[in-house]
Amino acid sequence: MTTTVTEPFGPLDPFAHPALFYRDEQEYLDGTLPFVRDGLEAGEPVAVAVPGKNLALIRDALGDAAETVRLLDMREAGRNPGRIIPGVLRAFADAQPAGRRVRIIGEPVWAGRSGIEYPACAQHEALINAAFQGRAATIMCPYDVARLPEDMVTDAYATHPTVIHPGSRAEQDSAAFAPEDVVARYNEALPPVPEALMFAFDADSLPHARHVAVGEGARLGLVGVKLDDLALATAELTTNSVVHGGGTGVLRVWPEDGYVVCEVRDDGHLTDVLAGRRPVPRDQRGGRGVLLVNLIADLVRVHRSDSGTTVRCWFAR
Amino acid sequence: MKNRHHLSSAGPVPGLAVFPLSGRQGVRAAGEVGLTTRAIWEGVLEEAVREGEDVYYLELSDVTFVDVAGAGALAAAAGQLRDGRRFVVRRPPAALRRTLDLLWPGQTGIEVSTS
Repeated sequence: MTTTVTEPFGPLDPFAHPALFYRDEQEYLDGTLPFVRDGLEAGEPVAVAVPGKNLALIRDALGDAAETVRLLDMREAGRNPGRIIPGVLRAFADAQPAGRRVRIIGEPVWAGRSGIEYPACAQHEALINAAFQGRAATIMCPYDVARLPEDMVTDAYATHPTVIHPGSRAEQDSAAFAPEDVVARYNEALPPVPEALMFAFDADSLPHARHVAVGEGARLGLVGVKLDDLALATAELTTNSVVHGGGTGVLRVWPEDGYVVCEVRDDGHLTDVLAGRRPVPRDQRGGRGVLLVNLIADLVRVHRSDSGTTVRCWFAR
Repeated sequence: MKNRHHLSSAGPVPGLAVFPLSGRQGVRAAGEVGLTTRAIWEGVLEEAVREGEDVYYLELSDVTFVDVAGAGALAAAAGQLRDGRRFVVRRPPAALRRTLDLLWPGQTGIEVSTS
């Protein structure tokens, strides 16, 4: 006789995504260290991707155990929030043995994130839920509630199904959890910059669009790898417009503080919310253009509307 | 500067020209690999896979750009090589090396030579 064990309340999503609210270094360590140590004791692969100063805190407190944890400075690995899912979280999780639960501390939002970066941060936090649905993983996201603006903390309740309050170890359900709303709310319009260099392209002028972007990027001070990256991003975004976005588009390039910004606007509809955020299986042909842009740019912002799609990317000069 | 528009494109669209190498199996390519030249590039790679030589040279010093799909076609072709066969990719543009490193790290069948 065999017995079938079934879940009494239906299958539970094995993915956990708590926000950890902290006000100081002690609360940071009280929240993160047990999470790391419990994972190591359970034989789970553990990664920590947080800003450098917090990374040093965790590394020093872990001592020798730090050598068994993947440590990444989120200010570099996650400078572009759109890079974090494919380049940090999935890159780590997918490299582990199948079926093994993974633990990751990911801190993509820190005091000092600019107003241009933050909408991409909030969307990233919301999209983690879709990207990891059904996977055996726990991703804990620390939030410095003493220094972050109140609206960013409010958003964390909407992007995380559970939250851990300062000084507490207990996860509480977040009644405000509504990740799709956050993705929609931060789908902010990117109005054209009037003083930008502009080039309208179609299939025949694709190579010229890239040459125009590279020429302007070089004139504005991009060199070396950053100039190559501008060329790659321009090629991928303009090619997408020709192939998927109605056949034509408009390229703009301009300087903004320490960056050169490249924007491609077309009439296409980018419906896949995780476009450019999924690692692509090695044997799949195509579908890597936006992923590459996310991996190389310092920031990517996207605006999707009924009338078209705008992708804007920043390259530090 | 206000409203600087590039209204016309200067010169002909860059193509991709391919020449057989003398003295060794392979080709020298000149131009760009992008949407408009992808079919030519894929044809070169299909032929290279069929050749059956242990080493097939792709001399790319006169190729100024390869897009992600072009890099993907190279990775896919290299993935079809068996029995230790490989492509030697000579002096590729920086964009190709960067794309291969980021999206196809450790791809078998591709040896990048910068000399």
